[in-house]
Amino acid sequence: MRRKTLRTIALSVAAATAVALSGCAGGGGGGDAAAGGTVTLWVRDYQEAIMKPLADAFNKSHDTKVKVTLVPAGEFVQKLGTAAAGNNAPDIASIDLVFTPYFASVGALADITDKVEALDYADDLSPAHVAQGQYEGKTYSVPFTGDVSVLFYNKTLFAEAGLDPEAPPKTHQEIADAAARISALGDGKYGYVFSGACGGCNIFSMTPLIWASGGNVLNEDGTKALLDSQEVTDALQLYRDMWANGDMPELVQTDNGPNAGTPFQEGKIGMKGDGTFFLGTLASEGTVDFGVTPLPGKDGGSASFAGGDNLSITSGSKNPDGAWEFLEWATGEEAQTQLADASVLPIRMDLLDDIYIPKDPRYQVFADALAKGFVPYSTVENELFNDNNGIWATLIAESVFGGDIEAAQKKAQKAAQALLDEAND
Amino acid sequence: MTSTLLPPAPAAAAALSSPRRRRTGLGRRRQLTGALLALPAIALLGIFFLWPLTRTVFMSFFDWPMLGAAEFAGLDNYAKAFTDAEFLRAVGFTLVYTALTTPLLLVVGFGLALLVSRRTRAARFFQTIYFLPVVIGLASGSFLWLFMWQSDVGPTTQLLGSLGLVDPAKNIFADYWGALLIVVGMVTWKVAGLQMLLLLSGLQSIPVEVNEAARMDGATGWQVFKHVTLPLLRPTLALVLVFSVAGSLLAFDQFYILTTGGPANSTITAVYQIYRTSFIQFDLGYGAALSLLLMLVLGLVSAVQMLLLRNSDHS
Repeated sequence: MRRKTLRTIALSVAAATAVALSGCAGGGGGGDAAAGGTVTLWVRDYQEAIMKPLADAFNKSHDTKVKVTLVPAGEFVQKLGTAAAGNNAPDIASIDLVFTPYFASVGALADITDKVEALDYADDLSPAHVAQGQYEGKTYSVPFTGDVSVLFYNKTLFAEAGLDPEAPPKTHQEIADAAARISALGDGKYGYVFSGACGGCNIFSMTPLIWASGGNVLNEDGTKALLDSQEVTDALQLYRDMWANGDMPELVQTDNGPNAGTPFQEGKIGMKGDGTFFLGTLASEGTVDFGVTPLPGKDGGSASFAGGDNLSITSGSKNPDGAWEFLEWATGEEAQTQLADASVLPIRMDLLDDIYIPKDPRYQVFADALAKGFVPYSTVENELFNDNNGIWATLIAESVFGGDIEAAQKKAQKAAQALLDEAND
Repeated sequence: MTSTLLPPAPAAAAALSSPRRRRTGLGRRRQLTGALLALPAIALLGIFFLWPLTRTVFMSFFDWPMLGAAEFAGLDNYAKAFTDAEFLRAVGFTLVYTALTTPLLLVVGFGLALLVSRRTRAARFFQTIYFLPVVIGLASGSFLWLFMWQSDVGPTTQLLGSLGLVDPAKNIFADYWGALLIVVGMVTWKVAGLQMLLLLSGLQSIPVEVNEAARMDGATGWQVFKHVTLPLLRPTLALVLVFSVAGSLLAFDQFYILTTGGPANSTITAVYQIYRTSFIQFDLGYGAALSLLLMLVLGLVSAVQMLLLRNSDHS
């Protein structure tokens, strides 16, 4: 029974450390606050621009001080895992929500069920984030930031190709047609771009094409793989056809994340599936006239990956009370408003109408996507989907660039099911 | 030590045994000093090699996740390695890579060494130039080449494109041989200088008289090289071979950075697979077993080469 946790040990460690003093290093120090002291927080590096101001705002109004450490995004899971194994984990981890089931399952996170239930707005938190924060009926994290996937399209290129910039694609066929017409413009213009060697990117931007068709990659409780289903075939076929037709630039075959956005930002690409963060980048540059639309299914419908970060207190935290103080504040109106002002999608469903949607007409698409977003639930997410050499990334590479979709699906399904069986036995 | 400080007790016995005693005392003191002086090195060896090694061996017999409880698994991890298609494929690729780089490095290193073996200022100048890439870190070198050969934006692809030699829009890393050759090229550029230096010192340790004698006997340049230089250089050649074979079998950084194992996982090396097993799949026990298997292979390769070295050492 590998991967199953030693919850008892982890929890007793947590209890022991909770009893231990909360290291009093607070600058300014007032004696009456519940917690005080310093808490450390790890976050993926690309969120520096939002995390630093948020920490400053918290530190100004609290005796407890939060100290932010940026961790390279590609190594976050490894670093947090090794740190937890060596009892050097931070007090708070801002974890890509898909990894919270894993860290909860191995006892690395503290059980905060009672505290979360006591929040006034417990029922107004993003449902997808809440679901990922739970493991075997207990809650191990609170939602923090939203990052949902939609289809970005370049309105200028749509117009140039004779397409209506106000009528973005609503089916797979319409995506393929638009891509072909934009590529026909020539001059280095391509219809579609994605990161073909990146597992995480595609669970974010490609699975919505599957969900919207009514399919899935895993069943509800993450025990069965569905990688050989027809809806998966349809999405792979769409990408395969666009690649074979030359509607994608060559870089997509080897890009593992960082480069696919650049040609879109340069105005050379018609469409790209991406998230809320990308909108911030595009909007601040202001060079591309773009629109956003939900990612469609084969014959219509739409779906989205409801991503972002969850905040968890680690089971080894020396200052769990101080850590909770930050978690509670970070999900509160002040912090969520500050996030919305920084064009991050808040996770408080009750606040979206006031603090987020009015800021930009395109935000409505994100808000809707968050409400009905999907996230596959799995304790082996990293190995199954996010590993750039793993099952999911290999399935995409072999299907889209190799062409034998059926064989690739068969192989991936077998490997994925074996992995899930091993993890869930 | 204490015994040497004691006064020789019974006078009668002292007369007979004290010289011997003193000698053993001195010997012991020397031994102790030696041990004391070696202690830092032993401590380092212990902390950074012996202890991790023992621990790795221990872990390799367990189903040992990164977080959570370890379970004894006997030889399961080892048995699994021989049926693990992904690992076997990685091993196969590592061997291909080693077979490709080793002769290339040797020939290029040797060629460079011959070029700079003249004792002139110009030779020293070029020797420095050829050696320069060696002092660049492997990771930095990899990133440099990654950028140089990027389609559309890389300076090398641009330059070769403007000469009409390659299609600058072509993604070289998307092709197995393209990706592999770039890695091999980078490693050759990076490591050949070191091979050159080692071979050069070997060449220069061959007495001039031997060469002169051969020439006086009427040997041609090729004959001198084949019958004098090569045999006398064999120990150096063996050393260089051990270096490059071990280096190639342990290849990781260059592939992690340049190809990230692609296209379609075709350039994953053994160490890359160990990394994935341990830090992506969090299966530390299996990763430990794979590491030990690799260590065994490395030990064998080195042993064989040492054997060759001994048999060929005529000096």
